[in-house]
Amino acid sequence: MKLLETPSMTRTSSLRGLAFLSAFALTLANAQAEIRETSVWWLPRNVNMFGHDVDFLFYIILFLTGVAFIGVFFAMILFLIKYRYRPGVAAIHTHGNNALEVVWTTIPAFIFLALAIYGNEQWSKMRRQTPPANALPVAVVGEQFGWNVRYPGPDGKLGKMVAAKISKENPFGIDVADPAGLDDFTTYNELVFPVGRPVRLYLGSKDVIHAFYVPEFRLYQDMVPGRVYDFVWLKAEATGNFQLACNQLCGQGHYKMFGKLSVVPELAYEAWAKSKTPPPVTMTGR
Amino acid sequence: MSTTTLNHSIESHGHEHAEVTGWRKYIWSLDHKIIGLQYLFTSLGFLFVGGGLALLLRWQLAYPSTQVMANGDVGNPLSLPFINPQFYNSLFTMHATVMVFLVVMPLLIGAFGNYLIPLKIGAGDMAFPLINELSYWVYVFSGVLLMGSFFVAGGAAAGGWTSYAPLSSVSAYNGTQIGQSLWCVGIFFNGLASIMGAFNYITTIVNMRAPGMGFFRMPLAVWSLFITAFLLLLAVPVLSAAAAMLFLDLNAGTSFFNPANGGQPLLWQHLFWFFGHPEVYIMILPAMGMVSDILSIFSRKPVFGYRAMVYAMVAIGFLGFIVWGHHMFVSGMNLVLSAAFGVSTMVIAVPSAIKTFNWLGTLWGGSIRFTTAMLNALAFVLMFVIGGLSGIFMASTPVDIFVHHTYFIVAHIHYVLFGGSIFGIFAGIYTWYPKMFGRMLDENLGKIHFGLTFAFYNLCFFPMHNVGLGGMMRRIADPTAYEHLRALQPINQFITIAAIGLGFSQFVFLWNFFRSLRHGKPAGKNPWNATTLEWTVASPPGHGNFEVTPRVYRGAYDYSVPGAPRDFIMQNEPEPSDSPQGKVAGRKSVTAG
Repeated sequence: MKLLETPSMTRTSSLRGLAFLSAFALTLANAQAEIRETSVWWLPRNVNMFGHDVDFLFYIILFLTGVAFIGVFFAMILFLIKYRYRPGVAAIHTHGNNALEVVWTTIPAFIFLALAIYGNEQWSKMRRQTPPANALPVAVVGEQFGWNVRYPGPDGKLGKMVAAKISKENPFGIDVADPAGLDDFTTYNELVFPVGRPVRLYLGSKDVIHAFYVPEFRLYQDMVPGRVYDFVWLKAEATGNFQLACNQLCGQGHYKMFGKLSVVPELAYEAWAKSKTPPPVTMTGR
Repeated sequence: MSTTTLNHSIESHGHEHAEVTGWRKYIWSLDHKIIGLQYLFTSLGFLFVGGGLALLLRWQLAYPSTQVMANGDVGNPLSLPFINPQFYNSLFTMHATVMVFLVVMPLLIGAFGNYLIPLKIGAGDMAFPLINELSYWVYVFSGVLLMGSFFVAGGAAAGGWTSYAPLSSVSAYNGTQIGQSLWCVGIFFNGLASIMGAFNYITTIVNMRAPGMGFFRMPLAVWSLFITAFLLLLAVPVLSAAAAMLFLDLNAGTSFFNPANGGQPLLWQHLFWFFGHPEVYIMILPAMGMVSDILSIFSRKPVFGYRAMVYAMVAIGFLGFIVWGHHMFVSGMNLVLSAAFGVSTMVIAVPSAIKTFNWLGTLWGGSIRFTTAMLNALAFVLMFVIGGLSGIFMASTPVDIFVHHTYFIVAHIHYVLFGGSIFGIFAGIYTWYPKMFGRMLDENLGKIHFGLTFAFYNLCFFPMHNVGLGGMMRRIADPTAYEHLRALQPINQFITIAAIGLGFSQFVFLWNFFRSLRHGKPAGKNPWNATTLEWTVASPPGHGNFEVTPRVYRGAYDYSVPGAPRDFIMQNEPEPSDSPQGKVAGRKSVTAG
């Protein structure tokens, strides 16, 4: 980050107070430029097929809540001005109005229910849709503090994962009897997805709860140890480099449990996969 | 003040214990008012502890000690080197634990609940004074355990205030065996204190209301504490049990939550959130009740839709128990279950909306006085609306998936808990301080305090929405470790500076609070021209509260009644029997009595 490398803030600076003030000034000055480049004030760009629905729903809720807030805010300001204390003007003695109560109970109730139903429909659409047959299966198993990743070899099939078999020696819980796993290859903290091709994730954890989180994919899934999550899938619509982050507190190294995630053209993916020679024993993670 | 000649048997309840005087009264007194003040001072003290923890963790986020600089040095030149990642995790864990269990709950329920309930219902004391005092000391004990955990080997608990297992339940994973165990014990005893308080409040309100004080004549502050007490009684034991199980997992080799030995990590989440969501309402309902009363006092108007307000709170209390699953959408929940929790979560927004509209209705047509108490109450309404509306995003599962563990949710909870509860608490303190200490707080200092707090509060917490939408996770010790978050660093530094301003603004409050104890204007019995029973007695009220048990003739909100000589009529003022209104209300009082 540029700001943190400015000369006024080197270790030798004895005037900490001054450094602090200049840091604050730079903070404000730099904020504008950097933010416009990366749009961090707002949702990052979306590269996942499912992300559009998430964003659409987000904007619907933003619109509704925005209207509600502006309404309440201006009503309050209006009342505060109009009904401020003035000598000789008494308050209106009223205990309420039942018709109004019915109105402002039913209208929000309908809006909230509609939102609940619509949101739930979107959610089950994302979760129920079975991944297409050509989906690339990728297993990701979290551990304190890193990501074990396992890709299928030339046969396109991952070895069978069994949650109960996940252990230190066998991070993926691979069933040794399953021949599909023999040509699998593994990486650590490194994921590569082909663009435009569905990817089906098999998520698990070796120790504590981790979470698979990539903001640009609008994707978050807890990985509770003792189970394998096989329903999450995605389809990247653009190439680029992203960061996979653990987003469930997992211990003192939690803050640096991240991995590289690149989305590349299909051919580049094939080349990358080929370059990863399968290890002789496929049970180990690294 | 005008009391009736009717002498009622209720008197036998209150005065059983003798008055304790001098310094000893702050240890042994069974008087609900002293216990209320003990809770007030202790939890305000913890407010500064919790705030200090918050500033330390904000400092680490702005100037991380773990940051690798361009020249290869580790640590930002402005960083505090003693904040390592593990200590950072302890900081946010204990910040939340302190604020929830040692500040907001004891302030709202311990301080205001104790002080106001007997005075407002016309009782001499709580039903069980000894248990009341015991509850305070058990609360202090829980605070000592939690604070002490900073000084044990490994440091304080570092698994988040939610303490998700198996991180929290296996010391090899968390590295804080003793700290986490002390956390369990502290939470267990804290829960015990809450349970003792809860059944005391319920018994007091059910049995000890003054004659004429029907349930639907109680001020909303009392209603809110009544409902809160039920929530405490039903929710807190679950947390205590869960904390005991976690303690056993850590120390006795059981395996409730560790899947490696056949345990179930999601069991912890279910138990925790079965407590945790009602807890959210436990921490906001009493503030809602107090704010309703304060808006009415300073608008010189009855609360708009009193019964709707009561029913809305009852609805919140009931629905609060069937929404806990929305905290677990991200755990890979069954679709039917997530649909049910999604709907119930949206439904619980309805009573909150009803309350907001009724608050606006109370302001409408009023004669509004902008006292410091009123300003804080208005801020409560506005900030609660923001916090409530940002909750809608989390109620919708697909959006929740994206924002769930980001700073968006940190902004949300602080808009509810600081913007809501803390502003409500300030409104309560500015309103009832004259009753508690017999002197007024300084209004000018109060308004400076309010203005600074309101401004810095919003500068601090609003940008967190944006940081969260930008993808910044909560609970990470160093955001600069992530390439995609580095561009956020200027905002993080800005938030930290605003947080420091927010913290220092509170010294204006402290100064005002302690200065006014001696130098404030004498308050008199009823400085705000309010109607409820606590304003009929001296400030501060004497031991036993009421010399003669008051008789109640009307509801709590007779402000600006047409034809009345003043713009308020006290609850214990009989109706003049010849006025038409008097006849109606008089008939009601017979049935209510």
